[in-house]
Amino acid sequence: MHLELKPTGQAARLFVREQLRSPTTLVLLLVLPVVFVTAAAAVLGPFATALGGSASGHAATALGAGWAAAFLAGALGFFQTVSSREADQRLALAGLGAGHTAVARLASAFTLALAVSATAFLALWAHQGMIHPAHIALAILAFASIYLAIGIAVGAVVRDPLAGSLAVVFIFILDVFSGPGMTKSAHGLSMLLSPSRKAAELLLSAGAGQHSSTNNWIAAAISTTVAITVALSVF
Amino acid sequence: MNRAPTLNAAGVGSSTRSETAPILRVSEVTKSFRHGLWPFGARVAVLQGASLEVGPGELVGLVGENGSGKSTLMQIIVGLLKRDGGTVELDGALGYCPQLPELWDKLTVAEHLQMFAAAYRLDDATAKASTDRLLEELGFARYLDYRVEALSGGTRQKLNLALALLHEPQVLLLDEPYAGFDWETYLRFWEMSAARRADGMAILIVSHLLGERERLDRIYTLKDGRCISS
Repeated sequence: MHLELKPTGQAARLFVREQLRSPTTLVLLLVLPVVFVTAAAAVLGPFATALGGSASGHAATALGAGWAAAFLAGALGFFQTVSSREADQRLALAGLGAGHTAVARLASAFTLALAVSATAFLALWAHQGMIHPAHIALAILAFASIYLAIGIAVGAVVRDPLAGSLAVVFIFILDVFSGPGMTKSAHGLSMLLSPSRKAAELLLSAGAGQHSSTNNWIAAAISTTVAITVALSVF
Repeated sequence: MNRAPTLNAAGVGSSTRSETAPILRVSEVTKSFRHGLWPFGARVAVLQGASLEVGPGELVGLVGENGSGKSTLMQIIVGLLKRDGGTVELDGALGYCPQLPELWDKLTVAEHLQMFAAAYRLDDATAKASTDRLLEELGFARYLDYRVEALSGGTRQKLNLALALLHEPQVLLLDEPYAGFDWETYLRFWEMSAARRADGMAILIVSHLLGERERLDRIYTLKDGRCISS
């Protein structure tokens, strides 16, 4: 696809501006990551123990930052897609084209996901410090990207705002409770129910001050790429 | 092609359609929708071989009862809906004004015009000239910096129409574009349409008001899924 930068870039810029003009969005972007991070160690630890998992302490708090970015990015992706569907279609028909409109929408959503990730990262840093900041930043961004894609994909398929938001929350909850740290093993059903499993493994390792294996990095990169590709194709 | 004598209440120009080939040709278009959950629902045929033509410089109406399929046919022509059968041939740039304003609530009027000017690939000078002309014609220049969410229904509709006209297309499809207009704006809308018709634009307008028929060159009535020309 030949990408004309000027109209696509302008559309993406205006789409970002549109989102930032919602005061509720701005407040959620700032508050939710802080709440997730500060509450994560206290809440996720007991849950993990009850389910037979191992997340606790700094690893659980780091995981909370990932979940904050994921949840917000998923919600932003979904509501951006649903609330602007008709207007976006009209812009595509006007000559921007379906592909360019999708790229502009995804770029604007990704910009917000980046902001969400940065907020979650800073909240985590302020709360407990970190040994591997780059490692943690990439893992949080992977979380946000995967859920951004999930939100956009759900928004493209489910037109009803209530049904769609419930679908995103349902996927999120399944993912949380079948992810690493919450379950004993990574086999079978839990692998299928946890789209962000590899990103979570990266974050748990970094939160505990450990390195991740090359295989984990590759798997997380593949998960993220697949999610974004799916979102772009169904948009 | 069955064509009626030209009527032009605005008194601007006359149709050249008899001398030129159609710029929009819709042939035998069919479309049905499923109602109810599969496999228990039934398919309801909305369009059953709808055909129409619009030539350059023609102002053509499409009328029909509520639910007759007017907006469905419009959406098929512009590509928003897939047709089950038939063909749509279009020769030239298309402008489309949907029945309900499809806009971004948090963006301003100016930002909408900028975004569509870029989508239409207008250069800066053309975009400015066209924007100024439309703001003047529709009388809403003072709302340029207002967000859509702060506009009245009528002003939203003006923006809706302006976005369809920004690139002065060869073919203009209008789906009841004057809903919410006051009387003065309504009359101005017909003057604008007549002026563009005189410049050679092909205009297809969904309308349901009997009083508008005299402003149109030709009328198609959509009944039982087919277009009847009069």
